Amino acid sequence: MIEFDHVTRTYGPKTAVSDLSLAIPRGELFALLGPNGAGKTTTIKMLVGLLQPSRGAVRVSGFDLVKDPRNAHLHIGYVPDEPCLYDKLTGREFLWFIADMFGMPRHLATERIAAEIEHFELGEFADDLSESYSLGMKQRLVFAASLLHAPDVLVLDEPMVGLDPRSVRIVKDLLAARTREGMTVFMSTHTLAMAEEMADRVGIMVRGRLRFLGTVAELREQMAIETTSLEQLYLELTSPQSGRQPGE
Amino acid sequence: MSSRTTASPASAAPPHSLAAACSRLLPVDAESGLFFRLRARIAWALCTTMLSTARLRLSLVVLLSAMFWGSLYGIFVEAFTFLEALHAEVISLLFNAFFSSLMVMLVFSTGILLYGGMYCSPESRLLMTLPAREEAIFSHKFQEAVWFSSWGFILLGSPMLVAYGVVRGSPWTYFALLLPFMMSFVVIPATVGGICCMAMVAWLPKLRLHALSITLGAACVGAIWLAWSTLSSVRADSMSAAWFEQTFSRLAITEQKLFPSWWLSSGLLEAARPGATAHEAWAAFTEALKFLALLVANGMLLQLLAGWLARRAYRLGFSQLAAEVPARRRRRSGWFDEMLVNGGSAASRPLRLLLVKDIRLFRRDISQWSQFLIFFGLLGLYFWNVRSFNYNNAYASMIGFLNLAVVGLILSTFTTRFVFPMISLEGRRFWILGLLPVHRDHIVWSKFLFAFLGGVLPCCGLVLLSDVMLGLPRRTILVHEICCVVLCMGLSGIAVGLGARMPDLREVSPSKISSGFGGTLSLVLSSLFIMAVVVVAALPSHLFLATHALGPSTIRGVLSWLGTGQGLVASLAVVVALGAVATALPMWLGLRAFRRLEP
Repeated sequence: MIEFDHVTRTYGPKTAVSDLSLAIPRGELFALLGPNGAGKTTTIKMLVGLLQPSRGAVRVSGFDLVKDPRNAHLHIGYVPDEPCLYDKLTGREFLWFIADMFGMPRHLATERIAAEIEHFELGEFADDLSESYSLGMKQRLVFAASLLHAPDVLVLDEPMVGLDPRSVRIVKDLLAARTREGMTVFMSTHTLAMAEEMADRVGIMVRGRLRFLGTVAELREQMAIETTSLEQLYLELTSPQSGRQPGE
Repeated sequence: MSSRTTASPASAAPPHSLAAACSRLLPVDAESGLFFRLRARIAWALCTTMLSTARLRLSLVVLLSAMFWGSLYGIFVEAFTFLEALHAEVISLLFNAFFSSLMVMLVFSTGILLYGGMYCSPESRLLMTLPAREEAIFSHKFQEAVWFSSWGFILLGSPMLVAYGVVRGSPWTYFALLLPFMMSFVVIPATVGGICCMAMVAWLPKLRLHALSITLGAACVGAIWLAWSTLSSVRADSMSAAWFEQTFSRLAITEQKLFPSWWLSSGLLEAARPGATAHEAWAAFTEALKFLALLVANGMLLQLLAGWLARRAYRLGFSQLAAEVPARRRRRSGWFDEMLVNGGSAASRPLRLLLVKDIRLFRRDISQWSQFLIFFGLLGLYFWNVRSFNYNNAYASMIGFLNLAVVGLILSTFTTRFVFPMISLEGRRFWILGLLPVHRDHIVWSKFLFAFLGGVLPCCGLVLLSDVMLGLPRRTILVHEICCVVLCMGLSGIAVGLGARMPDLREVSPSKISSGFGGTLSLVLSSLFIMAVVVVAALPSHLFLATHALGPSTIRGVLSWLGTGQGLVASLAVVVALGAVATALPMWLGLRAFRRLEP
């Protein structure tokens, strides 16, 4: 579903992402972890087509994000860290705009908009202008919009920011259900507990390079630490003082 | 460890893909229709919101625009009547000069607006992650940019062109063709601006800023040179036929047949020509249509070119720009800041610290001080040139007071735009200020001091320049300076006081805060205050001059007394009292409200 093929992205003299090769199959929930400035956001921006790689290629469902961005976007749903909505559209109008943009048939769009409004409990304020929404309400609406066209790949950048515990639960259940149905989820997060709870595999980026890729159990095994949490493993791996590599 | 996984690479979309079943790429017309519906919905929501929540602002905008349009129409009718009688041949030059300068401005303004809209807005980030065509996004943002960049042209150009048609006795077809001509003309420079913007962002990322700065600088130098050379030739023989010929010969450069501005002016002049016979009228009309067709064809060709460029360059440019690392900007505390912080009593130190914070924010925000510099710089240029005209005493005095009013009005736009939102913007940082051992009054007073001190020096300097250039007597200069100080105090009081009385703590955009009800009220009250001060101060001076010019017997009673020195002192006392009320009342209301504020 998702393929990074020797991807490098530079910002002037600085290399934000260095020779990243990564393939995430259908139905997997992948969590990308790393400290600030590690290259997570750059990776996500390349995955959704906002940035072009300096070298290498990014493909979603077989479509290259640089050569064929429109077809690739048909298969992607994206929830950014800062939700962007039209202030002067209601939540429902925004959902219709997204559905129309993805060319969804009328009857299907009607059905799915109603379903997502119910799923994310948006009904109470779906007909209010979104300028009056709180951050959590906006985030729920963006989640609903990103899932309308049943994307093959859902890209999430810090998805839980601004969500209340109930909404967090809704999102977690939804991610679990959708991945079972075959959707691939690529998530960047600082919430290690969520990654530990939900991710099939985690990737830990440090200074533009993928320092670890595998399951949390594999990480424990490779770092020869039996009982510690992902948080402790993460801190051990990303500490500036620690040059330790998994397996050492 | 190798970062490559053992999982097999993803292949093309599986046949059972949900996305494949639910979605498809839109055809071009459906995509255009979708963006059209989006704009229509947003415009409708904006109108209904304004009608329900901002009636005062809307009424003021409509009323002032109508007044502005009507005044311009009257002035242009007079001007065209004069030109038609004396210098009919210069109208073509006048149109060419006007439209060509407008063309240059539209290229720059649309380019700059598109840069912000296409590359820096959250909306463009959203659209770039959707399966929309690049040229459709360009077209969507282009229409928005054209609207914002050309409404001034419609407001300024329409009274001029309607007045010309009325004076010339043009047929109805001229008036019917005005809008198509203006719209088709605007598209050409606006598209050129868009093309330049996309090409520069995509292929000149490093040189973009330098290239833009050099081009803008060259355009400014050229415009200033043209204005200077034209104005410097103005002497006592101004407004004569020879002066007109000399002045317009300098503008002949604008009459280039390859300029769209020439096509527009020629087309309009043909359309406006009243034919003596039906055959002549038909010939003029068809000639005008040819120029319109030329404009439309070129506009469409440029749109095709821009669409092609958007497909090739938009995503590339967007990516290039997103990859730019903002330069680290280190700022050190200047001697002025240090002096202000350390020079004074310990009791007033919190006030001074808050003042220094606002000065630093202003100094580091280019959008604030650049506008301040541009407007006051242009005023300074105008005042420097008022000496070129020869006035008698009455005119010089009147112009001096009008200049004072202009300085006040410019300052009032700044106090409304930048000072009024200051308290509201503190709302987001209220937790910092709220936890400091600072009395809330200090926060409000620091804003007042910032506005007053920031306004009084440039304003008094400009008024002094204007008066010296007009050759006004010292007594009048002193009166103007006192009025200027009073205006600065009152305008600062109104903006800060009302800003504290009616804060909008949820809004983060200063422009939205200032365009709300409180900002509009602040602007209206500021304008009324300026009018009151200038009228009260100007009355004794003009009565004094009238008494001297017409003789003491013509003006009697109170009016006669007002024209004396005592009358002048009395009027100044009223001005100071007006200033005290305009400062104290809003500040009192603001301080009281701010003390009780619960963010």
